[in-house]
Amino acid sequence: MSSVLDFRISASYGTTEVLHQVAATIAPGEIVSLVGLSGSGKSTLALALLRLLRYRGGVVTGNIRLEGTELTTLSESGMRAIRGRRIGYVPQSPGLSLNSRLRVETLLDETWRAHASRSANHRGLLESVQLPADTAFLRKRAGELSTGQGQRLLIALALMHGPALLLADEPTSALDAIAQAGVLQLFGRINRERGTAILFISHDLLSVAGISHRVDILHEGRLVESGSPAAVFRTPQHPFTRQLVAAMPRLTLPD
Amino acid sequence: MKHILLLLPLVLSAAVPQQLRFAINGDPKMFDVLMVAESNSETIRYLTAGVLLRVNRTTDVPQPELAESFQVKEGGRAITFKLRPNLQFSDGTPLTAADVERTLRRALDPKSGSPTGDTLRAGDTAPEILVANPREITLRYKAPKPGIDRLFDSVGIAPPVQTKLPPSSGAFFVAEYQPGTFVLLRRNSHYFKRDAKGVQLPYLDSIRLDIQANADIALTRYQRGEFHLINKLDADSFDRLQKTQNNSVRSLGPSLDPEFIWFNQAPAKTLPEWKRAWFTSAAFRHAVSSAIRREDMARIVFKGHAHPAVGPISTANRFWVNAALKPPVLDTKGGLAQLAKEGFTLRGNVLRDKGNHAVEFSLITQAGKRPRERMASLVADDLKALGIKVNVVTLDFGSLLDRISKSLDYEAALLGFENVDADPSEEMNVWLSSGAQHAWWPAQKTPATAWEARIDKLELAQAAEGVRANRKNLVDEFQKIVREEEPIIYLLNPDYLVAVSPSLKGVQPVVVPPQILWNAEWLRFE
Amino acid sequence: MTRPATILLALVVVLGLAAPWLAPNPYDHQFRDMASASPQPGFPMGTDDLGRDRLSRLLYATRVSVLLAPSAATISVLLALLFSALAALPSRLVAWTLSLANGIFLSLPWIFLFIILRSKLSLNTDPLVSVTLTFALMGVAGWAIPGRAFTASIVEMKDAGWLLQARAAGLRPWRIATAHAWPHLWSLALVQFRILIPAYVLSEASLGLLGLGVADPMPSWGNLLRDLQHPDVVQANPWTLAPLALLVLVMICLESLTPSRKAAL
Repeated sequence: MSSVLDFRISASYGTTEVLHQVAATIAPGEIVSLVGLSGSGKSTLALALLRLLRYRGGVVTGNIRLEGTELTTLSESGMRAIRGRRIGYVPQSPGLSLNSRLRVETLLDETWRAHASRSANHRGLLESVQLPADTAFLRKRAGELSTGQGQRLLIALALMHGPALLLADEPTSALDAIAQAGVLQLFGRINRERGTAILFISHDLLSVAGISHRVDILHEGRLVESGSPAAVFRTPQHPFTRQLVAAMPRLTLPD
Repeated sequence: MKHILLLLPLVLSAAVPQQLRFAINGDPKMFDVLMVAESNSETIRYLTAGVLLRVNRTTDVPQPELAESFQVKEGGRAITFKLRPNLQFSDGTPLTAADVERTLRRALDPKSGSPTGDTLRAGDTAPEILVANPREITLRYKAPKPGIDRLFDSVGIAPPVQTKLPPSSGAFFVAEYQPGTFVLLRRNSHYFKRDAKGVQLPYLDSIRLDIQANADIALTRYQRGEFHLINKLDADSFDRLQKTQNNSVRSLGPSLDPEFIWFNQAPAKTLPEWKRAWFTSAAFRHAVSSAIRREDMARIVFKGHAHPAVGPISTANRFWVNAALKPPVLDTKGGLAQLAKEGFTLRGNVLRDKGNHAVEFSLITQAGKRPRERMASLVADDLKALGIKVNVVTLDFGSLLDRISKSLDYEAALLGFENVDADPSEEMNVWLSSGAQHAWWPAQKTPATAWEARIDKLELAQAAEGVRANRKNLVDEFQKIVREEEPIIYLLNPDYLVAVSPSLKGVQPVVVPPQILWNAEWLRFE
Repeated sequence: MTRPATILLALVVVLGLAAPWLAPNPYDHQFRDMASASPQPGFPMGTDDLGRDRLSRLLYATRVSVLLAPSAATISVLLALLFSALAALPSRLVAWTLSLANGIFLSLPWIFLFIILRSKLSLNTDPLVSVTLTFALMGVAGWAIPGRAFTASIVEMKDAGWLLQARAAGLRPWRIATAHAWPHLWSLALVQFRILIPAYVLSEASLGLLGLGVADPMPSWGNLLRDLQHPDVVQANPWTLAPLALLVLVMICLESLTPSRKAAL
């Protein structure tokens, strides 16, 4: 078992193929960023890996191996046992991804009970994502949380069962610059302290480069480049990567 | 000076606009006088079509019109009309016996489907038509035709050519028609009739019939003075109008229309045999009849504008009503005594029959007809005094009709007739036991009872009897039997209520159609 | 605003339920010498055309409406939930069939159904049974109104981000339905319930106007409103407006208690 995740997949909606033989391997404890523009197939990839794409009307072919287990042949209940337990999913936009009518504690309890029978104390988990763990917070409805709190709660839910892999789909896109930095730091710390591998999906090369071990560039459904952040920045090979790097803002201060 | 004085009345009358306005409740379907089949066309036909004779609505005697004289001959088999000289249609073309003949032949042509033809035929056969000269025409039937003269009251003489707005042979002609808005009639300047002073009739220059389906709006427009008459008012409107315009409303006394209830006597599957036993018992029906407080009904439902009915023929129908009959009197005790003789017993508040069944029946009536709904409520309350429970059920007219005429799935019904004719043959299909509308048991193959057999005989005999006095005797006996058996329990005759502008003169309102308009050519404004 | 409305509604409900004890006279007794009387001692609201005490009739009519309209609304909402749950199935055919059925139910001329019901019932059916059936039928016929809202809500939920999150967390469909979706449907159900009550009170009133509602002598708001057909009669006898005033009051109270649809979604 040399890798956490090893996949080679294609995905299509109807007759339109949106991912073409996209392949990657993620080693234990590795943070890999998948960078591409919107429309490049990033979110499709995340859903495909969770085998949830069919709810969006998509079809996946290929192989997905998680910790040595082939996922594409698993039954739905087999997949359910993987989701949330071995792969934690951190969606974007807490405003939409949290059920606004539910209380924080209900969300925590429901997520816990999906894979465990006993009740649990979520204090430690909440503290680890720097959220308050008092009753007042637990009684809040998800709709009442700030965006930053919501995003941290989503991370806590994904982490709850100690997954081997976190699949984070644009987890910072809804946040302001300071909250964004905080969340990125949080991901880095989770990775260091728990050894959780992270597949980080983003459109923003600059913001993810700092915490990634490797950057993969996705363009029009194909992986066009892969390397360390430094290599990608310094010697971009593919024309698209060069474009991407050239477009990055540079800090130039007046003298 | 003398001349000026003589002219004065003319000048004054000319100052008053001679246009009569009133409402009809829908568009007339046609102006062809031979094809009229609905009441609005009927009104226009009456006002525009000349007839050979007219039944005087106040005296009930046929009087000459286009014919200056007529003669019933050969024991009621034939009738000869002598036309007035120099008759003209409203467009000035001459009107002769040839026009009468053409009218009759077209009406009698089975292909025309003319309702007038149906009244002219005797059974399936048409009468022979003989024109002796341009002013004389005779009709001859194979057998005596009852009322051979009176039927010509509704035979309008048609013009030679049917145009969209055809010329007329009567007092007015149709001058303009705006569908959905109004029909305008103008005076026929070629009309033959003159008053005693030699002034040509009609007095009115024109009649405007506004098409107004909503009776409440028509009433409001009458109150504003836009209409000069309302040919039929309900009791509530009458009272409201009376408060503001007391001099314009008139009650013409009991109408020809009866309100009544009857029990289902037919052997219907849905009717238990023991219930049918009650309904076929004359004593039961008499008891029910005697417990109904008709005076309360007249006072409460019709605000006093109704009179207890004596039977199928209204007291308003002075010639044909059996004057010996009086309305049933309230006699609950007598009713209970009659029921006791039939084996019914009153225990507590519940009447029970011999088989110990509690006496309970449903009474259906038409939903939305407030007076009938209220009468039914009163009947239900009155019959508590006999220990009878009545469940009033209001039904839409379609379901009601289906139950009383087809499925026969009902127990008792409360309805009324609107009689448009005073002739006793009018309700023939109700009284013949084979009739489709024989209310309590339609379309019997043979009469179920001796008294129904007798009614069959009397009805057929009166219809065939040519001599009016003999016919009256038969009709009297028929009314007596109906009272003795009460297959239909008569409740009330609502009064005929009208409103007429006080400025309209020459009005002689009658309860038979067309009520106020029957002498339209004599009406005028002053 | 909601507090006085609640108190008023509660008062109306109590008045209705307590009708047998509060009414000064039996609702069907005809005081024939007192027909169409003005308010006076013994008849605080006068009498109707048949001499029946208007106040007693109004109290009993209130009883019919406050008991049966919420029951009918409950039937509609439950049926709607049941049918709309099918929309959660992945099949598009089911959703399409559902919306078709919905459309058909909304566009059917229901008045004929009531005419048919009337014609199928035995003529000697107790008025109480017939009025209960009338409301039950209204309840069944009315499922399409909340049904449409539920179906729309469920279809919307199928695309919701939180559903994806819950699935990705490994929740079982049953838990997703009960813990996640139900709170949305429940609050929607409450809104629909409150919308339907006045609708059914008014429907009964319209049926009553046509003479197809509650049978005489049993009073209902609908058949009491039938007495209001001539404006100038009403003008001369303003107390006859009492049933209309009560109906309007109840409508306003219910309206002010109903959260707007926007707030519910």
